[in-house]
Amino acid sequence: MILLEVHNRIIEELLTVQIETFLRKEKLVEVKTDVVDFDGAMYHVTSSRDKPFIVSIKLKFYRDLEQYGTDDVLRREYGDLLVTPLEGYNVTLSLDFNTQLPKGDTNEVWLPLVRKIAMLKRNCFAAVFEKYFEFQSKQETKTETHKRAVIHYRDDETMYVDASSDRVIVIFSTVFKDPDDNIIGRVFMEEFKERRRQFQQAPQVIVSYRTPPEELKDMPDARTGDNIGYLTFVLFPRHTKVAERDNTINLIHTLRNYFHYHIKCCKAYLHAHMRHKTNEFLKRLQLARPEVKKSFRRIGNNAGDAPAATE
Amino acid sequence: MTGRLPACVIDNGTGYTKLGYAGNNEPHFIIPSAIAVRERPGGSRIGQCGEDLDFFIGDEAFNAKGYSVKYPIRHGIVEDWDLMEKYWEHCLFKYLRCDPEDHHFLLTEPPLNTPENREYTAEIMFELFNVPGLYIALQATLALYASWIASDVKNMLTGLVVDSGDGVTHVVPVADGYLIGSSIKHVPISGRDITYFVQTLLREREPNIPPEQSLETAKTIKERYCYVCPDIAKEFAKFDEDPRKNYLQYTGINAVTKKPFNVDIGHERFLGPEIFFHPEFANPEFNTSLSKLIDDIIQDCPVDVRRKLYGNIVLSGGSTMFKGFDKRLKRDVQRLVDGRLRESEELSKHKPEPIDVKVVAHAMQRYAVWFGGSLAASTPNFYEVCHTRKEYEEKGPSICRYNAVFNLV
Repeated sequence: MILLEVHNRIIEELLTVQIETFLRKEKLVEVKTDVVDFDGAMYHVTSSRDKPFIVSIKLKFYRDLEQYGTDDVLRREYGDLLVTPLEGYNVTLSLDFNTQLPKGDTNEVWLPLVRKIAMLKRNCFAAVFEKYFEFQSKQETKTETHKRAVIHYRDDETMYVDASSDRVIVIFSTVFKDPDDNIIGRVFMEEFKERRRQFQQAPQVIVSYRTPPEELKDMPDARTGDNIGYLTFVLFPRHTKVAERDNTINLIHTLRNYFHYHIKCCKAYLHAHMRHKTNEFLKRLQLARPEVKKSFRRIGNNAGDAPAATE
Repeated sequence: MTGRLPACVIDNGTGYTKLGYAGNNEPHFIIPSAIAVRERPGGSRIGQCGEDLDFFIGDEAFNAKGYSVKYPIRHGIVEDWDLMEKYWEHCLFKYLRCDPEDHHFLLTEPPLNTPENREYTAEIMFELFNVPGLYIALQATLALYASWIASDVKNMLTGLVVDSGDGVTHVVPVADGYLIGSSIKHVPISGRDITYFVQTLLREREPNIPPEQSLETAKTIKERYCYVCPDIAKEFAKFDEDPRKNYLQYTGINAVTKKPFNVDIGHERFLGPEIFFHPEFANPEFNTSLSKLIDDIIQDCPVDVRRKLYGNIVLSGGSTMFKGFDKRLKRDVQRLVDGRLRESEELSKHKPEPIDVKVVAHAMQRYAVWFGGSLAASTPNFYEVCHTRKEYEEKGPSICRYNAVFNLV
């Protein structure tokens, strides 16, 4: 697995199981569970025999997102499924199997819907990107109409999105809690830059450590520090055009977690190497060991032949 | 606990791994503890960069073509750490989708796990995943926590845990949350043996079952129809008297021809689980019944906990889910105990205080260990006993050798 999955597996599986039981006309099991996703997203899922399947999501930074028209995007994606949010949650979807399930014989009819519901978090995020991609394509350059979007997607990490006439800039700030992560993360970020040379169609990447990049000069609250890294992606129209848009959003909104996942994978890879080397060394050492057993027998046979033991 | 994300509870078993977030009643995933990796020529593990990400875990491992399936855990103990690391990687990032830096972790360990293994686990968890806190709990203790939802005695950390899964059955005495290590016994009878036994019974009588599906059919029959009877002789008589009422029909679908086939289910309904009490049916080398074994183990324990152990026999694991299992076990153990007390009364002419045997069965039995972990990890006490990252950096992995037992309330 190189890229992280965009949908939430737990929700997808729960919903699939429920729908399958429903279609078999068996009794639905009661479900009531709390699920967590990346970036501190919390889901609350309930389902029972006579009530619809309800998924609610809570995002700490939902207020940041809301300004950029999440409501419109969610309404477009989910339509009737969208209901008044549960108390303490930001968005609630409700699916009634009796009325709202697409009719059909094969499961291909309803699987896309399941996937769509499992992508709830992604769709919450999508609004920001879509809005700025739109700004860019309509050539609404830096005027009074919009300013830079700032999403505090984690307590100490922030995402900035900005549009200009020919590009959309997305900047991530990320914190490395561990000094090793810091180093591996840097190498990894450099690699982003290097690899780009081989793939002309890839977005331009600018990497800066400790201090925020030039674009964020006017942001006094952008953090600085030894363990802070900034990754800037410059998305060109070929990334933001309608056909590519969904893919771009999928990739870029999982970036932070993708990045940290790979740092961890790198470490696992190094560990595997270290274990391998240690085993090799141990094998060598084993070879160098004098064979005590053999000489013992010799001593047993002939007590006077003691020096042979030290061979 | 406001503002804190729920802890992750991962129970790595030999056959299946249960994972989910604390505070829930059921694990979110129950996946086989299998990992499919590409076999490299020469047997070397170390491949090119990027090849280390080419693997699958769980059910996907079995569907992957061109990979070899491995089990990193043997008899409950992790054997291959390279694979285990990868397994965890996917567990966290693909299945649970959590950032390990944000969650505390509760892992489980089998009885008689080595302290070195605990250190190793801690090393991986703290250094690779940068978890903020880790607690390694004993499976038996977690099963005791889980039993509190059913038993009227709360906060009792003394009890005998009968943990029977797919691969192995452990009988583990626990006193105040600590194992009585010298008295742990393994029984070579478990879920898989029952399935095999049912399969042989069916094979002799039912020619309709397609051979390649016979194991699967036996498993379904075991899970749906098997129960434990109080007395086999009587049960046989009952079946012979009125076969129509007691014989059941099972309809399966042939995977190749897609045609349904019918199977009669008769004596195997009660004979299957009976091998716990008469193991010689299935395994000629082993003939101590589970109830006798439990009695022996308790007699083996220090004298001051015996009475408490008899009073709190806790069931955990899928193979203890048969209807009537708890009643039968209670009756058999009680009989053995009463017999011994009578003997001692005759010899000493002094009437001993009777011992009450109690077997605790509850709704969460199947994932008792995971459920216990989920309960434990959602209390505030959990965060106090957790080994923290700071502690780890200060003292090193040896801190995880000891995991303080804690009371939930």
